[in-house]
Amino acid sequence: MERAGRTLLAVLVVVAALALYPQLFPTRLNLGVAIVLFAAMATAWDVLGGWGGQLSLGHAALLGIGGYTMALLSLRLGVAPWWGMLAGVALAALFAAGWGWLVFRLRGPYFALSTIAVAEMLRLVAINWKRVTGGAEGLFIKTLPQPLGLNLFDRTVEFYLGLGLLGLTLLVAWWLSWSRFGYYLQAIREDQESAQAMGVNPTRYKILAFMLSAAFTAAGGALFALYVSFFEPHIIFDIGVSVELALIAYIGGAGTVFGPTIGAVLLLAAGDLFRNYFQQANLLIYGILIILIVRFAPEGVVGGWAFVVRRWPRARRPAAAPAE
Amino acid sequence: MRVRPMATMAVVVLLAALLPPPSAAAPEPVRIGVITSLTGRFATFGKMQMAGYDVALKEINGKGGVLGRPLELLIEDDASAVPAALSAAERLLAKGVPLILGTYSSGVSKPLAGYMERREMPLLVSGSADDSITKPGSPYVFRAKSVSSTYARTLFDLFDFLGGIQTIAILAGTGAFEQSVADAAEAFTKVRGYTLAAREAYDRGLTDFRPLLNRFRTLNADVVFMVSYEEDAVAIMRQAKEVNLNPKLFAGAAAGFAIEAFIKGAGDAAEWVFTATSWTPDVKYPGARGLYERLKAALGGGEPSYHAAEAYMALIVAADALNRAKSLDKKAIMSALAATNLMTPVGPVQFQNFAGFRNQNPIPMVVEQVQGGKFVTVFPAQIARGRPKPPPPPGTRG
Amino acid sequence: MAEVTSLIQVVVSGVLTGGVYAIVGIGLSLIFGVMRVVNFAPGEFLALGMYGALLLFTRFHLDPYLAIVVILPAAVLLGYMVEKVFIAPIAHAPEHSSILMTVGVGLVISNLLLFGFGAQPQSIYTAYSTSTLRLGAVTFSLPLTVSFFITVAAIAGLYAVLTRTEVGRAMRATAQNRDAAELVGVDTAQMRGLAFGIGIALAMLAGTLLLPVLYVIPTVGGVFTLKAFVVTVLAGMGNVLGAIGGGLILGVAESLGATYVSSGYRDAFGLIAFLLVLLFKPAGLFGRSRV
Repeated sequence: MERAGRTLLAVLVVVAALALYPQLFPTRLNLGVAIVLFAAMATAWDVLGGWGGQLSLGHAALLGIGGYTMALLSLRLGVAPWWGMLAGVALAALFAAGWGWLVFRLRGPYFALSTIAVAEMLRLVAINWKRVTGGAEGLFIKTLPQPLGLNLFDRTVEFYLGLGLLGLTLLVAWWLSWSRFGYYLQAIREDQESAQAMGVNPTRYKILAFMLSAAFTAAGGALFALYVSFFEPHIIFDIGVSVELALIAYIGGAGTVFGPTIGAVLLLAAGDLFRNYFQQANLLIYGILIILIVRFAPEGVVGGWAFVVRRWPRARRPAAAPAE
Repeated sequence: MRVRPMATMAVVVLLAALLPPPSAAAPEPVRIGVITSLTGRFATFGKMQMAGYDVALKEINGKGGVLGRPLELLIEDDASAVPAALSAAERLLAKGVPLILGTYSSGVSKPLAGYMERREMPLLVSGSADDSITKPGSPYVFRAKSVSSTYARTLFDLFDFLGGIQTIAILAGTGAFEQSVADAAEAFTKVRGYTLAAREAYDRGLTDFRPLLNRFRTLNADVVFMVSYEEDAVAIMRQAKEVNLNPKLFAGAAAGFAIEAFIKGAGDAAEWVFTATSWTPDVKYPGARGLYERLKAALGGGEPSYHAAEAYMALIVAADALNRAKSLDKKAIMSALAATNLMTPVGPVQFQNFAGFRNQNPIPMVVEQVQGGKFVTVFPAQIARGRPKPPPPPGTRG
Repeated sequence: MAEVTSLIQVVVSGVLTGGVYAIVGIGLSLIFGVMRVVNFAPGEFLALGMYGALLLFTRFHLDPYLAIVVILPAAVLLGYMVEKVFIAPIAHAPEHSSILMTVGVGLVISNLLLFGFGAQPQSIYTAYSTSTLRLGAVTFSLPLTVSFFITVAAIAGLYAVLTRTEVGRAMRATAQNRDAAELVGVDTAQMRGLAFGIGIALAMLAGTLLLPVLYVIPTVGGVFTLKAFVVTVLAGMGNVLGAIGGGLILGVAESLGATYVSSGYRDAFGLIAFLLVLLFKPAGLFGRSRV
């Protein structure tokens, strides 16, 4: 429990540190919003992908459900965005329950195969069911109510909303790191047969993890929709978004509390800083990084760091002596 | 630390040499922002826009710049994506530019326009056609180039002009641009008394249009009206030839049909196709041919598309407004933009409020036709050099 | 009569397109059957095949159908090397590691293609690109028909290799029971490399066959990756023969659906079939794991 306490403290420190961002970089708020939102969604992805070991390349489906539900309820029925967001969260969790039931009953890589397909299906529905979704032209959120005088289009407000969501997802990840639920998930990931022999029902836990992951991803999607204020089916159900969430989590460190956050900070900030130098090489670098990570450091940057820290004292002492 | 005066002196001298000389020699340039797609899926169009900006910038600075100072562009890449575009806009805001030009894709320009309005920054939309960017629009958003409904309107003007046409079948991709033009075409079909034979959408990445085209053949429509990007335009015309689809005429709404690569890719299947486009070197605006040559040189001999011309026009309009505003105050620039009355090689520019649009230039589009393996501008008659030729009846075509 | 002709035309179109789906699907199935690895990058390898053929055409004026002779062996070698360098070292890692690895390899391929060839669509125009054959009132695209027969020949050849040769038997043994295969002296590591090589070669063959009729962009393969997934699930994971049926069924279903139901939902028909199979017959329409 002592370790869990330290991790909780670290979560609070990370959130508090990030809370200074708008003061430190007042002219880079768009980047800040993107970082906290992708960190939150990657952490949510990681609940299923990292802790549960079920690789999803279709989380854009859930992001889209969150965004579309919030935007459509607001535009068509005048529902306040926070209720719309909650509705999107509930819908995404239900959707994940049905989807998970369909694929987790089966042995084999059916979940991974289905993820791209489901996101594609939703994209097609969003394009073709024009009367409801607005079709290919997309949705434009022009005006919104102002709860407690907060302008939801203000980047600072959006940043803190995103940070709040990130804080919540980090708490979920922290809970997974010590709770029975988390141990079961990890046991299923490492060896499904043994977990089953211990009396853990893998299907049930995978579905629960998926619902949790879906709910937070949809919340992120709703905030993302607010942030861009206009989106098309091609943009929000894009497989590129799904892959990016998976890569952020993996490069940072899948199945760790802070991995996805670190991944989001590193990749998005670097992408923004170096775009003018690397031009189109961004995705190429992602590709090379993911190959290196899978091959040499399956625990990502976080795992690699832990490895270095463990080895550091031994490696350093002989070198440090002559310098005195 | 021991100070070494000589070394310090040397550093100071070196720094002084490296730093730009005081402003007396050259006046501080006027900097405005440009957002375009240097990378990502719209990079081809970003390259075209850059060529247009380059040509316009040379011309402007060759004539003494703006407000007696050289004009400088701060160029930001939007990576063809919304978050990067917003982030780019914010960087430009932080640098204090008084005006931003951008970008290509409507899907990116729409959120960008919303953000600019909230930050009270004037935006001159240089490449996006979607109606909804200036309809209803905002006081901060200006657009000199044509809108997507004009693509359809111009082609329907041609149908009226040619006569003898009754039924129209529409085929469009599922992108935002394609669908908005298809919507306009469907509306014009009804308003102008034509009959809609079919309206079909196809998803991106589709490779086999044969079933669709076959169905069109059985419908026997007079016009097949297509809205597609380059790769699809080539595939559709090739496969139309394959399945022997021979309507009275094929009409393409710009995008994929209006570029050289279409003729190259579709070969003889491209012959007789009409396409609406924003600009061709053939139009009778002063300096059009010269602009074409300059754009071509800027592209290293590559074939310029209308996107390059539109970017050129946007920057010329911006410089004109800056000169008339006589200051870098945003409000002054906006009033100057609103009062624009300019003739450019790309067309006349006047920002107007009409039919629900705001700050939109009602610039006419042109129709070109593939005749003998080349684009010939054929319509409207007053600005075209060629004449539209109805395709020969089926069976006699090459 | 016109209706019947149109129906036949639509089915023909679907069968010819289905052939391409089938061959990519077979590659995916073979890899899964032998290696228990899902290759998430068949589309990228397909694009690589297209660009390879494009390069041979523009540089050496080599017809895409002749280019197969060059591309096939190169593709087997490339696939074999990719397996040895990237996938073999993580053979004992969990399932998702190998999936991520293929995703990474796919990203690298498509972005290298982007660097090398740019994002603009490119296509070749050959004398036969829009040629057709006529059988009564029904027309057949000449290049698609030729491609279909080459596909059939390739599948027949693969079947002969798998059933008649020592290597083929060893590969099937690896697929059926890896440990037992090792006990009887099969070098299963080699078989895995070879299976990946053949799987990749089939994807690149599909790309080469598509070049005369289709433009190429670095991301052209994305659609085919999804189709290949649908085909393998329809057929049953790892069922190589079933993938032929799966491909044809998918091609015809899409063609009919696009014509008579809704062209906008064209890609959805396959995806719905995919989900229905998972729901009612998860082992696939033809049972699973038969190489």
